[in-house]
Amino acid sequence: MSTPVGFDELIHPSTRLSVVALLATTEWADFAFIRDSLSLSDSALSKQLHTLEEAGYLEIHKEGGGRKRRTKVRLTDRGRTAFEGHVAALRAIVEGAGPAATPGPPADDAPTTAATGAAQPQHPAETGR
Amino acid sequence: MGKSNEARHGEAMAVSTPMDAEQAWKDLQRIRVPQERVYDEFERSVSGGRGMTYGMAALMWVFLAGVGMDLPQWGVGLFVAAYVGLLSVLVVMSSRRSRMQLHHTRCPGRMWAAFGAAAVLVGGTIVLSDHLTEPLEPIYAGPIQATAAVAVYLLSLGPANRWAADSVRSGGEPAADEEAGR
Repeated sequence: MSTPVGFDELIHPSTRLSVVALLATTEWADFAFIRDSLSLSDSALSKQLHTLEEAGYLEIHKEGGGRKRRTKVRLTDRGRTAFEGHVAALRAIVEGAGPAATPGPPADDAPTTAATGAAQPQHPAETGR
Repeated sequence: MGKSNEARHGEAMAVSTPMDAEQAWKDLQRIRVPQERVYDEFERSVSGGRGMTYGMAALMWVFLAGVGMDLPQWGVGLFVAAYVGLLSVLVVMSSRRSRMQLHHTRCPGRMWAAFGAAAVLVGGTIVLSDHLTEPLEPIYAGPIQATAAVAVYLLSLGPANRWAADSVRSGGEPAADEEAGR
C-alpha cells in the first residue's frame, strides 16, 4: 500500500504520536503534565521531546529556577500542520480501505473528529462492549 | 554531531512504514487518549480551586460593600484600584499553578456564553438589589447588595463551569465544525 501525502514518519511512532496529539489540544503543557498523562519516564519523554524539537515541531521553554523551575512545551505551527497532515493521511488510509475493512462509522466522520479531539468513533470491536 | 536538523528529519522521512487500515484506525483511536487527559485536567482546573473561588467571592463582597457605601470619588477609585490589583494577583497565582492551557480552538462558544451569562446574572443582581435597597441607609444597603451579588456569583459559578467543561469534553462541536468546514 502506498503511503498517502501528509503521512509523517517522525510523528508516526506511538509515543511521539501521543505527545503531539496531547500538545495539539493545548496552547502549552507542562513537562510533568505530559509525563504523567502519558505514563512516561523523564528520560523517555525528554528524548522524544528533543527529537521533535530538532525537527522544529515544538518549542521547549524553561522558566524559573531552583525548586520552582518548570518546563513548558508548545507545539509550533509546523508541528501542528504536520500533525493535521498526519491525521488526514491516517484518515485517507482508513477511507481507502473501504467499508469492508473498516465497517465502523461513516469514514469521513471518525478521523475528522479525532483530529479535533471530538472523536467518538465506534469501531466494530468497541460497539460490542 | 555534525548533522543538521533537516538531514536528521530527512533520514526519518526516508524510512517507509507499511501502514494498513487497521493500524491507521488504531492510531486514530490512540490520539484520543492523551486528548482525554487534557480535558480531564481542564475539568479539574475549572471545577477545583475552591480557594480561588472563595478568594474571588470575598474580594467581590468587600469591593461591592465598600463601593455601595456612598464613598467620595477618590474612595471609589481607591477601591477599584485595590480590587483590580488583588484580582490580578489571584489570577496570576492561579495561572502559575496550572499545568497546561487549552488550545483556543478547543474553547467552544458555549464556554464563553456560560461565563457571559454568569456575568450578566451577577450584574443584574447588583442593579436589582441597588434598586430594592434604595430606601435604606448606605451602611446597610452596601452589605445587602454585596451579599446578594456574591450569593448569585457562587450559585451560578458551579453550573456555568460544569456546562463549559462538558462542552469542551464533548469536543467543542463549534470548533470541530469549523475545522470540518475548512
